[in-house]
Amino acid sequence: MKKKPRLLYEFPWMLCLWLALGSCGQTKQETQKQLVLEDDLGREVTLNGQPERVMALAPSMTEMLFAVLDSSAIVGRTQNDDYPAAALTKPVVNNYPMDYEQLLRLKPDLVFTVEGITPPDVAERLKELGIPVYYQKYASVEDIFRGLEDIGRIMDREEQATLLTDSLRREVAQIAARHRQEEPPLRVLGLAGYDPIYVYGSSTVISDKLRILGAENAADETFDALTREFILKSNPDVLLGGTPQELERNFFSIYPELRKIKAYQNQRLYAPDFDLMSRPSPRVVESIRELEKFLYP
Amino acid sequence: MSRAVSFIIALLLILVVLVLGLQVGSFESDLGTIANAFLHYDAANTTHFAIVHLRLPRLLLALVVGASLALSGYLMQAMVNNGLADPYLLGTASGASLGAIIVFFGFVPVTVLGLYMPPVFALLGAFAVTLVVVALGYRKRQLIPSQLLLAGIAISSLGTAMVGLLTFLSDSESKLRTVIFWSMGSFERASWGMLPYPATALLLALLLFVYYQKQLNILLLGEERAQALGVPVAQTRWVILATVSVVTGFAVATSGPIGFVGLIIPHVTRGLMGTTGQANLLFCAFVGGLFMLLCDLLSRLIYPPAGLPIGIITSFFGVPFFVYLLIRKNYAFKG
Repeated sequence: MKKKPRLLYEFPWMLCLWLALGSCGQTKQETQKQLVLEDDLGREVTLNGQPERVMALAPSMTEMLFAVLDSSAIVGRTQNDDYPAAALTKPVVNNYPMDYEQLLRLKPDLVFTVEGITPPDVAERLKELGIPVYYQKYASVEDIFRGLEDIGRIMDREEQATLLTDSLRREVAQIAARHRQEEPPLRVLGLAGYDPIYVYGSSTVISDKLRILGAENAADETFDALTREFILKSNPDVLLGGTPQELERNFFSIYPELRKIKAYQNQRLYAPDFDLMSRPSPRVVESIRELEKFLYP
Repeated sequence: MSRAVSFIIALLLILVVLVLGLQVGSFESDLGTIANAFLHYDAANTTHFAIVHLRLPRLLLALVVGASLALSGYLMQAMVNNGLADPYLLGTASGASLGAIIVFFGFVPVTVLGLYMPPVFALLGAFAVTLVVVALGYRKRQLIPSQLLLAGIAISSLGTAMVGLLTFLSDSESKLRTVIFWSMGSFERASWGMLPYPATALLLALLLFVYYQKQLNILLLGEERAQALGVPVAQTRWVILATVSVVTGFAVATSGPIGFVGLIIPHVTRGLMGTTGQANLLFCAFVGGLFMLLCDLLSRLIYPPAGLPIGIITSFFGVPFFVYLLIRKNYAFKG
């Protein structure tokens, strides 16, 4: 039999000793610096101390950061981020496909993102590269406000965040008070794509915005392309997704059968600002106000 | 089983699946509702409207597209004398896809023909690619079937790469979604206005090839023998190519590229009916249509309301059936 090489034989012992010795020195240093957070997905996010340089990997998240933080703390933006104007001055990191090298160059202490925008494997890879990723997720308007406060706590800007969310909550409460008695509630369908037909499903923030306005989402939960028959059956009072001219050209001309729905018959077709509609950001109140104008002209 | 009985069974099955298909959708509807929708159509009743204007054209489009693809596969296999040929292998379908996708991505202004742009460009693409493949298939004024197949595979790959490039370069999420959804195949956009084009192409092709059936059968025996027997081989070939381009172009343009049917259904019908005979071509179209109807019904039953993409269903349910036939019938494609 071949003799085992000496080094390999002794290696496990050496490793244990090395780890034991090494950990003595390190634990002390790290307990001073390391921060362990839990994000909205229940993931553990370990930071080497109070983060100072951050960025976001989603347009809505960049808006969140700019609302709470000093512009100087934000080190970059993705190619799609266009609000607020100050974001445009930041260096661009392509997030699809992820430009790891550029992100490393900007050296953020922490990266914020939204569930569904950054795939888990990208977050894992970033963690390996020493950049922790913090996920938020939102199912309601209130979740967005809590997300802002969350950022405030992590970044030591709690006061700024609370001032902002207090005023946003007050505005939402005022709007909601105006629509408590809407009977029967308007049934609204929000189009996210014409061909195939995609709509904003019931678990999205849009349903909550409509609830605040005394209306309801006409769509069930769905992430699939919808059939014309499904839309015909849901028969919404209001259709969001484009001006009457746009919808005529790009939607009803493809699906002339859908001209039977109430929203078309009564010409209640509206074009909300797509970014306001789809981004869960501090501008959500602006979005609710826009929808209010459409629903109760 | 006699030919007549096979035809009657296929026809009855088509009717049964049509009636079943008319009952599936977001609006609940039983046989009584369906009968009412046709006999006492009430324009104000949305269930009636859905049955007559959404479900029926959808089912008929599935029937026509299935028959078109099966017919194209049958013709291609006869023409190149090879059981591997189908509108996909010879690049016709990828040419049609490329044509339609160029329109979807907005590389040509859609104002000229509006909604008819994707079909028109699909036709042009199918024609252009088929011409190139056939030109590459010739050596010393002779069409070499193996060379034609290889050229088809190569040009198809180029077509796929070009579709990939367009997809990669596209900056619009909604256009991407349209193309991805379209490329998996769907009958969801079917309407009475759309149906006449592929249906007319299919009918004309069927009539043409009932007339050409004799030449086609002799062509199956080999080019030299056909020539010796007085079949105008070159002319027959052009008729086949032109027909396959038109029929496949319309099928792809209205429903997206749906693989598998053109390759397998001709083998299935040969397995059921034998390899020669006048009625084969028609029977092949019938079985293709029936198969597609069944797949559409299954897709909507499994995954309501939208239905699974039809290309997935055709392969998942068609392949086991084909393998079963292959093992049980022990037949060979005789060229």
